[in-house]
Amino acid sequence: MRVPVVIHLIGTILRLFGLTLLPPAAVALLYAERSDAAAFLVSGVAAAAAGQLMVRASRAPGEDLRRVEGLAVVAGAWVLAAHAGALPYVWAGMPPVDALFESMSGLTTTGATVIRDFGEFGRGMFFWRSLTQWLGGMGVIALFIAVLPRLGIAGRQLFFAEAPGPTDEKLTPRIRKTAAALWTVYAGLTALEAIALVAAGLPLYDSVCHALTTLGAGGFSPHPQSLMGYRNPAAEWIVTGFMFLAGANFALHYRMLRGETHVFRRDEEFRVYLVLTVAATVLVAILLGPAAGTIVDRVRVASFQVLSILTTTGYASADFNLWNDQSRAVLVALMFVGGCAGSAAGGPKVVRQILVARYSLLELRRTLHPRGVLPVKLGGRVVPEDVMREVLVFFLLYLAVFAVCTVVVVALGADLVTGFTAAIATLGNIGPGLNVVGPMGHYGDFHPVSKVVLTAAMWVGRLEVLTVLALLPPEVWRSAQWAGAGAHVPRAPAPAGGRLS
Amino acid sequence: MRILIAGGGEVGFALARELSRDQEVFVIDHSDEARERFAGLDVQFVAGSATSAEVLERARAADADLMVACTGHDEVNLVACALAKSLGLSRTICFVSDDGFLTAGGSGESIREHFGIERFVWPEAQLADDIERIIAAPGAIDAEVFAGGRIRLLEYRLQEGSPLTAGPVSTLRVPHGALIVAVKQGGTFHIPRGDTRLGAGDKIIVMGTPEALRDLEPQIEPSSAGGTRRQLVTIIGGGDVGFRLAQRLDAASNVEVRVIEKDRRRGEQLAASLRRALVLNGDGTDLELLEAEGIGRSDVLVSVVDNDERNLLASLLARQLGVRKVIARVSRPANLRLFELVGIDVALSPRGAAVASVIHEVQAGRANLLAVLEEGQATVVELVVPAEYQPRALAELKMPPQSIVGAILRRNQVIIPRGPDQVRPHDRLLVFATSESAASIRDFFAPGR
Repeated sequence: MRVPVVIHLIGTILRLFGLTLLPPAAVALLYAERSDAAAFLVSGVAAAAAGQLMVRASRAPGEDLRRVEGLAVVAGAWVLAAHAGALPYVWAGMPPVDALFESMSGLTTTGATVIRDFGEFGRGMFFWRSLTQWLGGMGVIALFIAVLPRLGIAGRQLFFAEAPGPTDEKLTPRIRKTAAALWTVYAGLTALEAIALVAAGLPLYDSVCHALTTLGAGGFSPHPQSLMGYRNPAAEWIVTGFMFLAGANFALHYRMLRGETHVFRRDEEFRVYLVLTVAATVLVAILLGPAAGTIVDRVRVASFQVLSILTTTGYASADFNLWNDQSRAVLVALMFVGGCAGSAAGGPKVVRQILVARYSLLELRRTLHPRGVLPVKLGGRVVPEDVMREVLVFFLLYLAVFAVCTVVVVALGADLVTGFTAAIATLGNIGPGLNVVGPMGHYGDFHPVSKVVLTAAMWVGRLEVLTVLALLPPEVWRSAQWAGAGAHVPRAPAPAGGRLS
Repeated sequence: MRILIAGGGEVGFALARELSRDQEVFVIDHSDEARERFAGLDVQFVAGSATSAEVLERARAADADLMVACTGHDEVNLVACALAKSLGLSRTICFVSDDGFLTAGGSGESIREHFGIERFVWPEAQLADDIERIIAAPGAIDAEVFAGGRIRLLEYRLQEGSPLTAGPVSTLRVPHGALIVAVKQGGTFHIPRGDTRLGAGDKIIVMGTPEALRDLEPQIEPSSAGGTRRQLVTIIGGGDVGFRLAQRLDAASNVEVRVIEKDRRRGEQLAASLRRALVLNGDGTDLELLEAEGIGRSDVLVSVVDNDERNLLASLLARQLGVRKVIARVSRPANLRLFELVGIDVALSPRGAAVASVIHEVQAGRANLLAVLEEGQATVVELVVPAEYQPRALAELKMPPQSIVGAILRRNQVIIPRGPDQVRPHDRLLVFATSESAASIRDFFAPGR
């Protein structure tokens, strides 16, 4: 691993990330929150300056970027972007650990919050919270690949390191065009939802914020009681629909818009995702019992909560912490599934669950037919052995990380249900858990060490475990080249941030 | 007729031997061994490559009536046909062994037009299709369908105790709509007469409507439990034939398929493209494997390895394990009789069948050849009754000996005829004929008779 190259690319990304602090500054100005506007401007400039410093002090990659370097760039860029995003919160008076938690929760589209009193913060801050989830949903790096032609070949490595699904499907032969296409669909759906919510009677500001956090499968709401606070069934249905879309593969949306109308029917993962959604909704609607209202009300409440958890969004249109244990058990089970690969959702992903289930069933069948040739198939195609191995390792590591987080959080004072659900809700980028961290609760009262651990869990979970854990073995660092060995590759001056906006 | 055969391999030789009896045959091949092999035949041997225009001109392709391209290479066959066509040859038949290009753009129609080929012959696929039809008709050892499935022809081997062996044919209670058109006793076919007696071990060929044949089944195999049950089919050998057969059976919901393939990587390929079939990695002659997997429970076992000895051994093992019906592929036509002698229910030779179908196509002339049975020992042809023909009863129609009208197609009607049934102008007759009468039946309605 060539550390200067990694630093250079992280610097490039960070420099650009500084720009994303401009829109909330404008929103803050709009609502006459001068101090907050200054916070965003200063933070943006600081991030851009830090990025510029890193770029200057290091060297550009040549033609090639090694796999491990790609992983390091993505992992590093996400940590630094979270730090940069935390600056405005610190300015507004949040303790640094809390600010980092909130910022990481935003970027990783988790939606877990440490804010106790929503009245302490202005509209600019809440807009920034929502915007971070929107940026993180489709992937900060995917966005920059779309707008940054210079990433070139490095872009390919980074793209798959950021969204390492079991299938490396590209929509177009060029990664930059693929990233651009996905972002276009993403932005289009966001605009559509914002318009629909305004039409349903939500204020413009709230509509935009919710659209940003729905499509990103994030779950932050400017309202302290989330969607429940609006008491607007139409808005709930709209959000339910868009959560479902956000949890499906965006590549399918794109191909659908290109006229391939059969893609949803043909896609095995999507079919399972749909069946899972419907089955869980029906189950929860039944388990809630007649006390929860009419059939229509129960289906609405059940489908909203089921999709909120399954797509790892984390909104609440009802305080499901108060539900009976049967219903809550279904939601907890869904926390371990997640959305589709290639979506904005977190979690282990439906496709991995399918693969592991098939693999297990085939192993059972193998005891009957020891000489059988029994490949795992997905969509009629054989899944290569190494992909299958990666999926299994993913699950092992995922559960290991989950167990460690639970133990740490419980050891530092949380009750078991709280600790258990807080760990999976952060690792799976869901947001709310149960008990203390229920949908109407918050993470503010955790021990600071717990907060740091859960912040790391969000980061590890968003990058699907392997991207981060692959950097842990000591030999990665033993063989690292720290200094800029070799000549500095001369090249044209980097474009200033302003030219891109 | 002047016929050009491109390729002096096994198929080319068999074709040349048959056709050279009454046609003018040119054989093109570049190897010296082929030249020696053909030295004993009354054919014109042209040394060189069939893809060379100069060689084709030497073989006087422009004056030939038909070219059969049967070298071992699909590409060579295609190019040879296209080239001959451009030199002015009118009809070409092309042997192939792969469907990669046949399926391109819908049933290979465009490819065929592009290269100007009249007919593709794909022996392995034909064999797979034949086997599939036989499996689809439980109890039968050969099966053909005509008139879009409204008429079927089935070949059975009579079991001990079958009601059909009870007395002379005229006294048997064959369901209406089914007709016993031929009996094979002691190696030769003949058309049964009223006083013919059938015996256990005889093969009979029955033509009829699907319903009537279903009613006939219990009489032939009293133990058969009807055809709606789920069948377990084991295929040994996942080569061209085995794979194609597995693919076809895999699509049918009432058949459970197992394929035993020796080569690990080939097995993986099979497992990748088959949806439900179970692929087993192992040798079809490995008794331990066959027992562990309960192969004896199979309704049908098909052994289609490209090796006669292994097929024979696998088939015999299967028989021992209790498989009800055993079908084996035989590469050398000379081995066919041996296979049947030791009790293999159906032995089929892909090349033999393909060669027979080409020969009959050459000889059939204007009559429409529908099927070739038992490597050419019997055929089914379609004859159209001329417009000026006087209607008369079938019994008065003086058909050549060793031929029989198995069915009459009149507009949308299917008639399985008996003596008094009328034959009218424009009727299409499906005539079953043994090889000795095949030539005379072709010209039965021709002018001048």
